[in-house]
Amino acid sequence: MGGIWELISSITKYEIPSPTMTWQVFKEVMQNPMQDDPDYKGIGTKLLSSLKRVGIGFGCGSLIAIPIGMLMGSNKVIMNIINPMVQILRPVSPLAWFPLGLAIFQDSPKASIFMIFICSLWPTLINTAFGVSHIPQDHKNVGKAFGFSVWKYITKIVVPYTLPHILTGLRLSIGVAWMVIVAGEMLSGGMGLGYFVWEEGFNGGSIAKIIVAIIIIGVVGLMLDRIFMGLQKRFSYAV
Amino acid sequence: MIPAPDNKLKPVFNAGKSIEVNNVTVSFKTPKGIYTAVKDISLSVKKGEIVTIIGHSGCGKSTLMGTISGMVKPTSGEVFANNSLVTKPGPDRGIVFQNYSLLPWLTVYRNIYEAVDSAIKFKTAKEKKQLVENNLKMVNLWEHKDKLPGQLSGGMKQRVAIARAFAINPTILLLDEPFGALDALTKSNMHVELLKLWNLDNREKTIVMVTHDIEEAIFLSDRVVVMNNGPAATIKEIVDVPLSRPRNKKNIVHDQTYTAIHDRLLNLLIDKFSIDDIH
Repeated sequence: MGGIWELISSITKYEIPSPTMTWQVFKEVMQNPMQDDPDYKGIGTKLLSSLKRVGIGFGCGSLIAIPIGMLMGSNKVIMNIINPMVQILRPVSPLAWFPLGLAIFQDSPKASIFMIFICSLWPTLINTAFGVSHIPQDHKNVGKAFGFSVWKYITKIVVPYTLPHILTGLRLSIGVAWMVIVAGEMLSGGMGLGYFVWEEGFNGGSIAKIIVAIIIIGVVGLMLDRIFMGLQKRFSYAV
Repeated sequence: MIPAPDNKLKPVFNAGKSIEVNNVTVSFKTPKGIYTAVKDISLSVKKGEIVTIIGHSGCGKSTLMGTISGMVKPTSGEVFANNSLVTKPGPDRGIVFQNYSLLPWLTVYRNIYEAVDSAIKFKTAKEKKQLVENNLKMVNLWEHKDKLPGQLSGGMKQRVAIARAFAINPTILLLDEPFGALDALTKSNMHVELLKLWNLDNREKTIVMVTHDIEEAIFLSDRVVVMNNGPAATIKEIVDVPLSRPRNKKNIVHDQTYTAIHDRLLNLLIDKFSIDDIH
């Protein structure tokens, strides 16, 4: 892969920097990553601020999506009421929600959190509802036959059965959220990795910095995905 | 649906009755109309009796069983268990399902404990734990108590399911094709183990079992209820099994009574015995 990269660099007459040149820039960028001055913030600080916004938006979105998904999955009427709304709102690009968030909150960081919140809802909602509505009759029968209370039914049957489905939803949601935060930060400016890509990379005329940012975004995205994949494995059970 | 006549005689119970099924009909609404699974079935089972219900697949055996367990509501007619009308499942009736129905995220121990905890209200946590321990030891699974069901063999899973049903100490045990998924050798061992548990309990528990295995039905039961093919299945015949207990798997097959019952059941259930019978 390094060879192909090197080749492309040489074809473009090093308009696209070679791996070695990028490595130099990477080291430069990483020199003081946690720098947190009012006029300049290091890449690590930017990364953390992006992660924080994703965390808040994704966290709030999940906290709402999971219970609503459970209600949808357990009740056909609720499903028929909410599902059409979900189906209409789900395909909307998260970026379209940004100006709405800006109008509501009058604050661009909050608007990007709002955008993350919205796009974190759908995959979790849909997967949770699917999980709950597919609880096998065998499991339901156990609850019925031995007279489980509603609480025991939820904690010992609904939640454990649905957990892998919820985690699938969360894994998809965090993927979308991480993708969207970069675009959001480009729109809102002044913060996070998205701003780094736009301001220091593109406006600063350093393609190497753009590539460095792409690699960091990719690696962090992969790590987030692996965390949820690990959780999914942990909570899946052989019957 | 025909409403039950008002002047129907109230059933008279005697102390030895465990289950009383009165003119039970069960119909389901399907997209193609109303499907009647079983029709006008009456059956009474004595306390401590083992009765098997046998018939072809889809003949409504499990539906009939469901009306006794309370999982299925009769469309008309009624079922009494221990002299009270069955409206829902209750702790006086322990159920063992066809596919074990263990919760895969709970350990063997928790699977039984949660059932005991729900079904038995008036016992302390300590007493409940004791019950779980006793029953797991009874089926020789105490050393596997911390395993998940996915780590057990089919026979072991079924022993857990049986221990779970016994743990709530029901007077009636309802077994819905409990050994259907097991291989012949494991199945044979399970028959003996089931009877052992029944003996340990002074043969006081009433057992109703659904099966489609003739040998199993004869070896275990006092009476075999043969059902007609559905829809609207009825009882075709009830065959008594007057073999003395304890029964021995190996010797019983040479017993003349056994062979006679076996033949009778074969004749009731099968109408083609060789390729000459296929026209």
